[in-house]
Amino acid sequence: MALLELSDVQVFYDKIEALKGISLSVEAGRIATLVGANGAGKSTTLRAVSGLIHPRAGTIRYDGTTLAGRQPHEITAMGLVQVPEGRRIFGRLTVDENLAMGAFTRHDRRGIAEDRERLLQLFPRLRERLHQVAGTLSGGEQQMVATARALMARPSMLLMDEPSMGLAPMLVEQVFETIRAINADGVTILLVEQNALMALSIADHGYVLESGRIVLSGPGRDLLDDERVRHAYLG
Amino acid sequence: MKTLTKAATTGLLFGVGGVYLALVGLLEMMQARPIVFGAVNLGQAVLALLALACGAVAARDAGPAFARAGAGLLGGLLAGALMALLQVIVATVPLQGMFIAASPALRNMLAFGFAPGPGALAMLLGGGIGGLAGAVLAVSVPSLRRAIVAGAAAVVIAGVFQELIQLMIQYEGIIGWIRDFVYTWQGLRPQGAVAIFVIAGGTSLVLSHRSSAGHVPSPDQRRRRRFISAGVALLVLVLMPLLAGAYIGEVLMLVGLYILMGMGLNLEVGLAGLLDLGFVAFFAVGAYTTALLMSGSSIGLLHLSYWEAMPIAVLVSILGGVLFGLPVLGVRGDYLAVATLGLGEIVRIVVLSDFAAPLLGGPQGVLDIPKPSIGSFELGSPVKLFYLTLVCAGVAAFIAWRLENSRLGRAWEALRDDEDVAQALGVNLIRSKLLAYGLGAAFAGLGGSIFATMLGSVYPSSFQLLISINVLALIIVGGMGSLPGVVLGAIALIGLPELLREFGEYRYLFYGAALIVMMRWKPEGLWPSEVRSRELHAAAGEAEPVAAMEPG
Ligand SMILES: Nc1ncnc2c1ncn2[C@@H]1O[C@H](COP(=O)(O)OP(=O)(O)O)[C@@H](O)[C@H]1O
Ligand SMILES: [Mg+2]
Repeated sequence: MALLELSDVQVFYDKIEALKGISLSVEAGRIATLVGANGAGKSTTLRAVSGLIHPRAGTIRYDGTTLAGRQPHEITAMGLVQVPEGRRIFGRLTVDENLAMGAFTRHDRRGIAEDRERLLQLFPRLRERLHQVAGTLSGGEQQMVATARALMARPSMLLMDEPSMGLAPMLVEQVFETIRAINADGVTILLVEQNALMALSIADHGYVLESGRIVLSGPGRDLLDDERVRHAYLG
Repeated sequence: MKTLTKAATTGLLFGVGGVYLALVGLLEMMQARPIVFGAVNLGQAVLALLALACGAVAARDAGPAFARAGAGLLGGLLAGALMALLQVIVATVPLQGMFIAASPALRNMLAFGFAPGPGALAMLLGGGIGGLAGAVLAVSVPSLRRAIVAGAAAVVIAGVFQELIQLMIQYEGIIGWIRDFVYTWQGLRPQGAVAIFVIAGGTSLVLSHRSSAGHVPSPDQRRRRRFISAGVALLVLVLMPLLAGAYIGEVLMLVGLYILMGMGLNLEVGLAGLLDLGFVAFFAVGAYTTALLMSGSSIGLLHLSYWEAMPIAVLVSILGGVLFGLPVLGVRGDYLAVATLGLGEIVRIVVLSDFAAPLLGGPQGVLDIPKPSIGSFELGSPVKLFYLTLVCAGVAAFIAWRLENSRLGRAWEALRDDEDVAQALGVNLIRSKLLAYGLGAAFAGLGGSIFATMLGSVYPSSFQLLISINVLALIIVGGMGSLPGVVLGAIALIGLPELLREFGEYRYLFYGAALIVMMRWKPEGLWPSEVRSRELHAAAGEAEPVAAMEPG
């Protein structure tokens, strides 16, 4: 069953049509990816799903219900959480305080403590930096904080916007490992990436976005072998 | 060479600063405030301070000791030269048409009472000596430097505020004897100045000796010490009007009102990051609601008692805050400042308008507002009203403190940092923002309510944009997002200028200078909140102590 389903979604910034009617669906428990060049409309898609901008036309359904007219915090409360582009962590709070902010909507202290522990096992580096001010962390560590913070909300689905952006190749690899691990824990993932090669290789299903339109879609492996994709994105 | 250029620029800058102070008339006015009677006045003290500071700044980073001394000397000489030049110009060219302050009295002061020629020489010499002394002070042992600064500061404070201090020590016996030893009616006696200098400097020496001989205080200890000093300050605040009478009561009352407003705006700006330049509107809503509910005049509505009117005024202010917040919900940053500025002005203009005049009294305002009373005991005097303000401020501070550490407080801080991320984490943007406006307004409304009953009347002209700016300035100087900072800021920016009231027209000059100095050297404020100072230090690239715990 599709957990997230977009059909014919159109988004405008004033008069600029950023999404020209896109449809995609993400199966529960899977990893789907949306790849495309800079400016293709990837972040716009995630912002529309999170409720930060409202589509002019089309529907977005999550877990069977429409998201139209819902506030961002309501969507978060439904278990659909975004890790925004560019590692937007709270730079002047400590790592631990950042994690606590992630659990903002939760009240079960025990569960929060358990999740914190689990995430510190997933990201051992963060345990070493727990009381460090997050703004002073390296780029890779900040990405870990952003991801762990989102997971503290115990989402059923995670929207990740270019988690590998600006990271050294070795760290990029680590990021994708982590995404796999999170998915293995049962979290459905919609991953937005410019790094098509890596994204498609871990995704169950991929979509290629070009200037606000989806031009190709199919199982990740197939897209990876597709001549057009190879030509356009993988050089 | 670089040292030389730097010393020269510093000297010229300080000289220009001195010329400016002289030409706007501040120096001459300061001359009328004696510090040590018959010997030193505030104007001379400021000149000396300029020379000393000039020398100290010029000598910074100048390398070996003799180079520093030279740099200080050069800086002081140049600054003195500019001031001397000003004196000679004032003596020879009639400038008063352009600068009203360029009077013979100013010239006389700048020449230390000599004729123009010798006077210029004296100023040059004085500048040089001051600069050299400043440089020497800058390179001297820190504990000694601190002791000298502390002693001098104590003398200046004891001298400048002599009227006030003397009012507080009107007793016979030993206190009276000390008073007569230290003071005449017009200022400090020389012997008193020396005694105060020795005692304050000595105390500072002993304290710094103790702390250097022992250990460096841990952050915990430092915090405890800070809270103890805050407690002492509070005690002084509580007792002061009892000791010093109505005038200080009035000043503290004003400080208390600004503390209330500061705490409110602090919720909006300091915590939620919503820059609000229309804050005075909430103060006006609280004042007008109270006035209309209580007034005995014809537009008075219900003739309620203060205790009935005040809670209603606070509720109406909250409502006002929420309504105020609605149109600017989606506005961010600089635009928000402009939008709220407009909203605040709208409120004042509506109150002034003919349209609302039958209801709100128009420019004539609302008169005949009774004072609060408890049973048959009327809170009639400023001192009694000050205690009412103090109690209200205490309750408000407690609420603000709880809010800061609540879920809502965390939601505000998250919104301040990044609205999108905060929402992505489940923060309800609309509710949180409206609550920030509403609760901020509640504090201001409470202040306005006290203000109305204190004055017994309210007029639209009392609710100028300047009040919003004052409140904003005091929380910036005190330290954004910090409760003790609000208190310190209100005392520094509202209380001090009020005590030096003959300088009232220069208040905004002082504000401007204070803000620039703060932003340059202590941008986190006088008593910063923990998170805020972390932020600034992280930005400056200083590693946190915890960061040093990295495993090898
Ligand atoms: N806030 C905005 N206002 C106007 N145009 C925008 C805004 N954000 C994005 N756009 C435009 O929408 C298009 C898609 O942007 P975006 O979704 O950020 O692309 P991507 O994330 O794929 O790099 C781009 O042409 C961009 O210029
Ligand atoms: Mg993007």
